[in-house]
Amino acid sequence: MASLTIKNAIKRYGTVEVLKGVDIDLQDGEFLVLLGASGCGKSTLLNMIAGLETVTEGEILIGDRVINDVHPKDRDIAMVFQSYALYPNMTVGKNIAFGLEMRGVPKAERDAAVLEVAKTLQMDHLLDRKPSQLSGGQRQRVAMGRALVRRPEVFLFDEPLSNLDAKLRLEMRTEIKRLHKRLNATMVYVTHDQIEALTLADRIAILKDGEVQQLASPAEIYDRPKNMFVAGLVGSPPMNFIRATVARTEKGYGAEISVRADGSDQPVLLDLTDHPTDLAPHVGREIVIGLRPEAITQAGNGSQGTQSFMSEIDVTEATGADTLCVLTWNGKEVMARVSSGYAQIIEGTMEFSIDMSRATLFDPETEMRLD
Amino acid sequence: MADHSTFVPAQNRSNVGLRILLWAILIAFAIWFLLPAYVVVGTSLKDLGEIRGGSLLALPHELNFTAWRHAWSEACIGVKCTGLEPYFWNSVIMAIPSVLLSTLLGALTGYALTKWRFRGANVVFALILFGCFVPFQVVILPMAQTLGKIGITNTVYGLILVHTVYGLAFTTLFFRNYYVTIPDELVRAATIDGAGFFTIFRRIILPLSPPIIVVSVIWQFTQIWNDFLFGASFTTGGAQPITVAMNNLVNTTTGVKQYNVDMAAALITAAPTLFVYIVAGRYFVRGLTAGSVKG
Repeated sequence: MASLTIKNAIKRYGTVEVLKGVDIDLQDGEFLVLLGASGCGKSTLLNMIAGLETVTEGEILIGDRVINDVHPKDRDIAMVFQSYALYPNMTVGKNIAFGLEMRGVPKAERDAAVLEVAKTLQMDHLLDRKPSQLSGGQRQRVAMGRALVRRPEVFLFDEPLSNLDAKLRLEMRTEIKRLHKRLNATMVYVTHDQIEALTLADRIAILKDGEVQQLASPAEIYDRPKNMFVAGLVGSPPMNFIRATVARTEKGYGAEISVRADGSDQPVLLDLTDHPTDLAPHVGREIVIGLRPEAITQAGNGSQGTQSFMSEIDVTEATGADTLCVLTWNGKEVMARVSSGYAQIIEGTMEFSIDMSRATLFDPETEMRLD
Repeated sequence: MADHSTFVPAQNRSNVGLRILLWAILIAFAIWFLLPAYVVVGTSLKDLGEIRGGSLLALPHELNFTAWRHAWSEACIGVKCTGLEPYFWNSVIMAIPSVLLSTLLGALTGYALTKWRFRGANVVFALILFGCFVPFQVVILPMAQTLGKIGITNTVYGLILVHTVYGLAFTTLFFRNYYVTIPDELVRAATIDGAGFFTIFRRIILPLSPPIIVVSVIWQFTQIWNDFLFGASFTTGGAQPITVAMNNLVNTTTGVKQYNVDMAAALITAAPTLFVYIVAGRYFVRGLTAGSVKG
């Protein structure tokens, strides 16, 4: 097992800069998820770690060895591809053994290793089948087996679950998590699915336009997003952004918004007094208040730091465990998350409780979080 | 038994009339196209008296293979009366290596152009593709000079070289277009597994290629076996392929024109390509339309 270090990695195609200097330091046994929309450079970065793309500038190290010019097969990595990339002409057993065969491992040893991996992944009965005779989930397992069998230093996953149906995706996600726990291997996982990122990662690196926006633990990414892009990307439904001007109040600070209730817009003062951010320099200036839907909920189960007021429900969307209510604040849609018991009864205007201590404040110009 | 009547559209008199007309036209065309083949086969089985006495379309009195035997081993081609046999083997010796070589090289080139894309790969492909449109006649002179310089004029090896080089444009096109449909991730996975250029080709790409190999082999075999121009231009006498020899056989007349021998010679010359079509023809269309390799 080994650490993985990426130092100021730059990738250019001609004059187009796809990666603009990425720095990531990964501990031995850490699970890193590269999260971003398509075209953000996350797959390029993964391919650079794998050795399938050259590094234009900067360095990539596994352990303390610079691997920029090391052939993929000598990097001690294994990769699981989105399309699984199973060799269609070979049986499952041969697929898994191929990497070992290429490295000159004797047949008896190969067979033993394949059988062991197949047992771990519960597919020892499939070894003689061809990939075309397997279901999507089984193919996924074979692809994992092919990576596992070589016991590499670093595992790379390129959106491995995106071709599976929802139920299977959940199963395989747990499986990958379990695998990481058991092997304690260093893993890099590329995805555009923020739920996958939050559930799997020790740390998430969020990429946009070839730059790392934030590199932090899932909890920190969720609770303290560095900028509005990160805040909007992670979380489903995404964070609500409310523009308001900071004002001094009797207690401390507040920001006035207009809330639709009983058919008309009413002014409401959001209390920012208890917010950890020092708001003194922002008085009289506009800020963006980021509120996650779960910070706006039915009144009555409030804790410290909450305030409550009436707000009209435009539409409700039941998700089972809880219900999403669309409210209108400042003339814009705002999502609230309410226990399902409440939402089935209510219609029209009801009292909501807002936990302002969980709000994240942003600068509207730079879109960066205010500290 | 299922009742099909509900599925048959109601037919009135004019529909039946149209159907009869349609069939009549189809049958007429079928006869029209089959007639020459019938005449050739029929004539080759008659003796000269029968040909002179009877109608062109009359059935032969008996299955008489004398003309075939004559064309194969006795007929005079120029001054040598050896029949087509030695020239048939010339063609075999020429066609088989050319087909195999051009197919293998086309597969390698197509593989390199799609899976190991280098700067300018598309330009290289366009240039190779251009070779498909160069008429045979244009390359005859430079080709003759080249063969002369290498010292393999008037040999089967010269023809093998010419056909391999000329066929490369087509085979590369076939394989390139087939290999674009094979996912690149297969090659990436194999690279990480530790396989190199040729190992990936041999272990992963070639095993996926039978449909397009069949296409390439049929196409190349037909082209090379049926070629007349290169054979006539670059070889003389004993080194000629069967197409040229057949032409000479027909043109070598000593007295009476032996139509039955000419027809038998033509059929012998055409037999191998027919054979290849019958054996592998059903793979031909399948290979041409083969889509992506899933799984």
